[in-house]
Amino acid sequence: MNIRFNPKVFSSLLSLVLCFSISAFAQSDPKGERRVTGTYALTNATVITSPGKSISGATIIIKNGLIESIGNSIKIPVEAQIIDADSLFIYPGFIDGAGNAGVSKPADPERPANFDPSNPPDEIAGITPWRNVLDHYDSKNNQIHDWRKVGFTISQIIPEGGMLPGKTAIVTYGGKESSNILAQNSSLHARFRSSGGGRGMYPGTQMGMMAKFRDLYKNAELSIRHNTLFASASGVNRPEVNKTLEAFFPVLDKRIPITFEVSNDLEIRRVLNLQKENGFRLILVNVSDVEHVIKEIKEANAQVLLGLKLPNDKTANTKMEDLSDDMKARTQKIKEAYQKVLMQASVLESADIPFGFTTIGSNPSDMNKNIRLMIENGLSEEAALAALTTNTASMLGIQRFAGTIEKGKLANLVIMTGPIFSEEAVIKHVIADGYIFDYESKSKKDNGNGGDSGKAPNIVGVWEYTSDTPAGSSGGIMEIKKEGDGFKGVISYDNPAGSGKASSEMNNITLSGSNLSFTFNVAAGGMALEVSVNGDINTDQFSGNMSLTEYGSFPLNATKKPDQSNL
Amino acid sequence: MKKMKYILTGILILGCIITQAQTPKGSVLIKNATVLTVTKGTLEETDVLVENGIIKKIGKNLTAPNIEIIEATGKYLMPGIIDAHSHVALDAVNEATAPITSEVRMADVVNPYDIGLYRALAGGVTISHAMHGSANAIGGQNITLKHRYGSGNPEDLYMKEAPRTIKFALGENPTRVHGRGNGIQPRTRMGVEAIIRNGFNEAIQYKKTWGAYENALKQKGANPVPPKYDSRLQTLVDILDGKIIIHCHSYRADEIYALINTCRDFGIKNIVFSHVNEGFKVAPELAEYTMGASVFADWWAYKFEVYYSTAFNAAILMENGVITSINSDSGELIRHLYHEAGKAQRYGELDDEQTLALITINPAKQLGIADKVGSIEEGKQADLVIFEGHPLSVYAIPQMTFVDGVKYFDIDKDPDDMRLKVSASEAIEPIFLKEHNHRCMQDVDFLFNNFGRSLFNHSH
Repeated sequence: MNIRFNPKVFSSLLSLVLCFSISAFAQSDPKGERRVTGTYALTNATVITSPGKSISGATIIIKNGLIESIGNSIKIPVEAQIIDADSLFIYPGFIDGAGNAGVSKPADPERPANFDPSNPPDEIAGITPWRNVLDHYDSKNNQIHDWRKVGFTISQIIPEGGMLPGKTAIVTYGGKESSNILAQNSSLHARFRSSGGGRGMYPGTQMGMMAKFRDLYKNAELSIRHNTLFASASGVNRPEVNKTLEAFFPVLDKRIPITFEVSNDLEIRRVLNLQKENGFRLILVNVSDVEHVIKEIKEANAQVLLGLKLPNDKTANTKMEDLSDDMKARTQKIKEAYQKVLMQASVLESADIPFGFTTIGSNPSDMNKNIRLMIENGLSEEAALAALTTNTASMLGIQRFAGTIEKGKLANLVIMTGPIFSEEAVIKHVIADGYIFDYESKSKKDNGNGGDSGKAPNIVGVWEYTSDTPAGSSGGIMEIKKEGDGFKGVISYDNPAGSGKASSEMNNITLSGSNLSFTFNVAAGGMALEVSVNGDINTDQFSGNMSLTEYGSFPLNATKKPDQSNL
Repeated sequence: MKKMKYILTGILILGCIITQAQTPKGSVLIKNATVLTVTKGTLEETDVLVENGIIKKIGKNLTAPNIEIIEATGKYLMPGIIDAHSHVALDAVNEATAPITSEVRMADVVNPYDIGLYRALAGGVTISHAMHGSANAIGGQNITLKHRYGSGNPEDLYMKEAPRTIKFALGENPTRVHGRGNGIQPRTRMGVEAIIRNGFNEAIQYKKTWGAYENALKQKGANPVPPKYDSRLQTLVDILDGKIIIHCHSYRADEIYALINTCRDFGIKNIVFSHVNEGFKVAPELAEYTMGASVFADWWAYKFEVYYSTAFNAAILMENGVITSINSDSGELIRHLYHEAGKAQRYGELDDEQTLALITINPAKQLGIADKVGSIEEGKQADLVIFEGHPLSVYAIPQMTFVDGVKYFDIDKDPDDMRLKVSASEAIEPIFLKEHNHRCMQDVDFLFNNFGRSLFNHSH
């Protein structure tokens, strides 16, 4: 891989982190919150050190965030807390190539009184490549908890905003005392998104954004030429400092890549054209329709991140024999198109394009199901694990200290009850940056023991919910009724098109153990947004997340109203 | 797993076929057709031999070994129809956010999967001029497309030999979008002219600045500071240098004449006027100073500036020596441009050759490609249509359409579903009353909200 990583930044960050933890030891800890030890021994486990390589009956020693040793006959230090990992499977912690968990959108700056939409200031037009995503990152956001729970320990976080929202950073999902930063300004992020919603301001369309991108790139090159001239010769006018153009400098000298979000093969081609014209390093984010652009991706030497989201199978319940010939043929085409979506990963694998995953737009609770679907459709398990670990590590330039289980690497591990990707395997612990997170799987345990909570909760009734979004707190009513073997329901919410409440049908209401999930569609600004809700029920309390694919996920909590039908 | 491998290989091969099929060229021998050459008269019972995408020979009793022969006795063969004003196969049409957006390129947003391309082929159209919309006084750079339907690569559709063109627009659309919509210039026809003149004057300064910089670079020991790059102004410079043909949306005689004068002031000769409903009032001026007018047969009165119109427009322009074409500006009209041309004949009593020129050689001249397409002549590209019935008859039905000698439409092999790409997440594809709204209202077509016109996918 030709990704370069700035060791200087990293080592200074690391020493910063170390200093912090050492000084923490010097203080008293009256509440007893500090952990007893930073040393752990995971004993007698099956360790998959990297895709395709494993050691059985192995012990791993972790010390202060690093893997100290791994092997079959390892002496366990006295201060180590021993975790009996007998019969457990240990994998390298997953790495998210591009994610937005915990990232919020900076407030839109106020428009000046004499605002001219044909020539808006960069900041208003969504052109803010100087921004550092860490300035808008909340490492305590519960979306991070959700992704760590399914095995992610490192993420390249991408900024929110317009077409050039800012620079990405690489963070771990470690302990709460640490800043958890591995690298800042790891790439320049770009996407085809206009700030004015199309007609509002320049640039409003993909063609406008491409033209704007070309001009910025070219002017950044000229700006470097001017700076060089000013630094080396006299009689040269002072260069005008322009922070937008300066933000392109590390891209121009290929220190960092551009991560570019795309939504279909035509957009991939558009980005590849920009890359061909300008020669920057490129990571394509959230690729689809890849079978049409394999040759082009390879020629451009572009790197690829595949989304973890898969569409619903719209024809799963269609009875073909009831359809007219015309609709039968159309339905068949949709089935083939769906099949192609499921096969994106295997198409990349057989074309020898090493890819990673991005969590953008996807839901943590669907991850395992979706990767299994990709595997059923031709992806090898080894490639799937590489996409979660080593491929992404190389892409982000962090392979020196992450991606595999080796002495000296960061202690990022996923500890499972069975082989990864098997349906019954559950994550028992995740170790991120040397911190242990325990995840008891309620539903599986309940199913197994059939104890007092083994009975499925009764969700039928009226629920009052509240959700916290960056726009503020809102809420409404969910009314769920029984229908046949399933459920139907209606959810009300603040009307996005104006004042008052609007309501929608709840779709795909699924209750599995104590886990409840459903989706609903909201009409906003002429488009239908699908909102998916997922969470756990504890008697009359529901706590979970509501996710709007493009806009992130937000906590949603609900309380069931007492049954008043008898009153 | 074996089955999966099979499907996977299938998908990959399909992907390869689609991506690698770079502008295929075909060979075919069409026998015994009534050949409407447009430029060289009508040839009865004549054969046309196409080799490797080029018309090799026109004559009687032609033979060629190992070439597909198509028997066309009793049928008509005409040059592929050319639409000089279209928005088919575009993901975006209007960068409607600034009065001048000459930096944007329609080539960037070509969507080769648009079923509209196949429908156009079914109407005998082999080339369309994919244009920017009319929201801005100076819009984006257009792209001339050859309808090589089936490729997923937009570049396969570009007619690379065609010269660069750009969209201009006068009158109500730019004044409504920018003046009334955003409170900036232009608010009136005067403002539109001022925008265009200011743009050209700035471009002259821009060219001068870069010229001075480049000259200074040649001098020893000089350290000139590079000026700012501006593709918007650079494109205007290219217009001034005669490298780009202007295609200007226009209706009224006064605005047309005003832009003719502007172009004369700046030494611009490459300009074609589109729509031109009042063109008949300035026909001699259009004939003398422009590359012609591309009009509708009989479409008018959909807004104030198009009330003064006549179905005799095309004929009056043509008789005055204006290079005249009839365009569609619509995913619907593009399917029967031969009928639209027939209307001009019905009203204006043009002869068959003049009428066919309206949709073949004349639009080719306006796009700067008349040396390559637009008529049936030896050495030209083999864009051809076979008709049952004379193409100007109301009973005419296109039978086969060829681009570069490759058959892209055959009425006998015309499956119900010719879509190249199907969404996995939409069981039934949504139908949009407005053609270009489906990408989250990326464009401004909702400003042009006359229901009837929207229904028929017009977007000027």
